[in-house]
Amino acid sequence: MLLKRGKWYIGLLVVMLTAIVVTVSGCISGLQAIGWSGGTVAGGTLYVGSAEGRLVVVNLANEGRRWSEAIRSSQPGGLGCVPTTCGTGTAGVAIYGSPAVAGDLVYIGGYNGKVYAFTSDNLSTRWVYPREGYLQPIVGGVVVGGGRAYFGDSDGRVYALDAATGDKQSEFKTNDKIWGTPTFAGDTLFIGSFDKKLYALNTGDLSLKWSFPTEGAIITQPLVSDGIVYFGSFDRNFYAVNATDGSLKWQFAGGNWFWAEPVLYGDTVYAACLDGKVYVLKSSTGEKLAEFDLGSPVSSSPVVVNDSIIFASRKGVIYAIDTGRRLLTQLADIGAEVNGPLCASGDIVYLHTPNLTLHQVNAATGALLRSILLKST
Amino acid sequence: MNVWELIILQPVLNVLVVLSHYLGGSFGLAIIALTIIINLLLLQLTLSQLRSTKAMQALQPRLLELQQKYGKDKQKLAQEQMRLYKESGVKPAGCAITMLIQMPIWYAVYQAVILALAVAPEALLSLSRYLYNWPQVFSVLPLNQHFLWMNLAQSDFVLAALVGVTMWLQQKMSTMPSTDPKQQQQAQMMLWMMPMIFVFLSLSFPSGLALYWVASNIVRIAMQYRVTGWGGLKLGRAKQEADKGKKYLAFGSKEEKAADITAGSSEPQKEGTVIYPEKPDKNRYQPGRDRLRHKKK
Repeated sequence: MLLKRGKWYIGLLVVMLTAIVVTVSGCISGLQAIGWSGGTVAGGTLYVGSAEGRLVVVNLANEGRRWSEAIRSSQPGGLGCVPTTCGTGTAGVAIYGSPAVAGDLVYIGGYNGKVYAFTSDNLSTRWVYPREGYLQPIVGGVVVGGGRAYFGDSDGRVYALDAATGDKQSEFKTNDKIWGTPTFAGDTLFIGSFDKKLYALNTGDLSLKWSFPTEGAIITQPLVSDGIVYFGSFDRNFYAVNATDGSLKWQFAGGNWFWAEPVLYGDTVYAACLDGKVYVLKSSTGEKLAEFDLGSPVSSSPVVVNDSIIFASRKGVIYAIDTGRRLLTQLADIGAEVNGPLCASGDIVYLHTPNLTLHQVNAATGALLRSILLKST
Repeated sequence: MNVWELIILQPVLNVLVVLSHYLGGSFGLAIIALTIIINLLLLQLTLSQLRSTKAMQALQPRLLELQQKYGKDKQKLAQEQMRLYKESGVKPAGCAITMLIQMPIWYAVYQAVILALAVAPEALLSLSRYLYNWPQVFSVLPLNQHFLWMNLAQSDFVLAALVGVTMWLQQKMSTMPSTDPKQQQQAQMMLWMMPMIFVFLSLSFPSGLALYWVASNIVRIAMQYRVTGWGGLKLGRAKQEADKGKKYLAFGSKEEKAADITAGSSEPQKEGTVIYPEKPDKNRYQPGRDRLRHKKK
């Protein structure tokens, strides 16, 4: 009798524990890829990748929304729990890179290791790369230039695809993961890798022009202007190197990793750092002109609105730096975590947060406008 | 950052990252090294806990006797139990206090491993706020997730199996046979349940965590061996050896009836799996002797 009752208890215990394991393993903090795609504004329309794994198109005039089909993952999470289920209540794939818009196509890379090209009018899938199977997770964005789409994956490979058909043209292998977005500048593609190097590749065949070694991984999307490449590294340094030969022009030491893309305004570089500060540097020498403490790490790339650079701290506080007077002003507090890049249309700054919401802040007045829900209906 | 993160999690995480730096950038070796270091730091506590557990197990038959004797009088039972603990030099709360000290540290190691692995981009971004301003910390991150044949950020079947085997061995060594069938059954259940659960967990979590569990289990096996020898593992084998010579007789068979007479018992035996020792057990019901006792009472 005791044994029989014991077996019953054991059975119940197994079921309960399995349920706990499934829940915990699928939804534990730090294991979930949620995504932080920023928005891309083109022709009065905003394109953004949602945490549901969908490309969402927002008509900025009337806030009307359209959704693509959700992209799916090949690999479920722990014991069947889908990786992006937690926090969103959906089963889509995380999208980190902001969509790239070129012609009638919109390109996004998924954490499932596929790149998608959607038609901008009806959001149907024009092509998918690779057609069969999956690459390693794609965290950086896709850039389009010269009829090609470029991106890197977590296997450390840089790919060049025919932007119209998705056929692979060439690839280049680095020695570690690529989580950054490349920058297309003339005949050169610049991209950073976890192998601590910044690579300059010929856009034609992705052959190596030069590489610049640092002491830390590089996630920042490089900024290229007037023959200089500006980027930050996990070694806590911000670098300016010559675009032609990769020689160092200057470097500046910050307090933590540089994650966000810098902004160049006039002869001044604004570099946000995960130490919570924005460093204002002279673009020719790297001399520090000012620094602003935003109180919490800054991982989202800023945006220029009129004569102000708009930054968002991870805590969701929005700041404006007046470039003329070098004055920091707090615009608003959206009360949600901001990791992805900011984008703007006119005076309105758009911020995508993990709770499937697109926040709108008026950069001129600091007013918080009605937020737009990105959850599909 | 809250107090827990500041005082416990952050130091453990940074030590883990620095160990990776000094071990050639190998995160796998860093996990193993950290497990050994923490076990060495907690060595005295762990050994005293193991000794207390061993002493408690040794007291079980006497505790059971007290239970039978004073089962109805709870107060008397508690007094007698305390007296027994005092006489034997056992502190029942000692085990619990040791566990209370160890648990936060083990939980911090678990959290640190998950954080340092930075499986998802969000985790890597969060990791930056826990880092000390040491050059070794910044140069080694993000950590190299490859160790032996494994990607420590993904689950691994072989390592999950190793977690199960090492945990079973460690539990088996620490489980002593109990005279109380209920306790024995619970111990048996735990012996199988815990490894099963951890195998499930290992298949669901990054293998970096499973590596930490395997390393912990191996260190604990070594400590357990130091205190109890092979413990329950040896006893289990000895019992199997002893059982080899025993004969299982069917109820009602000629042999069984003969054996019943030899054993000197008239108690009807259950069908199938009854073991008869060569000599009658003194505690067994012996009709002639026991009936007389009952009459005297």
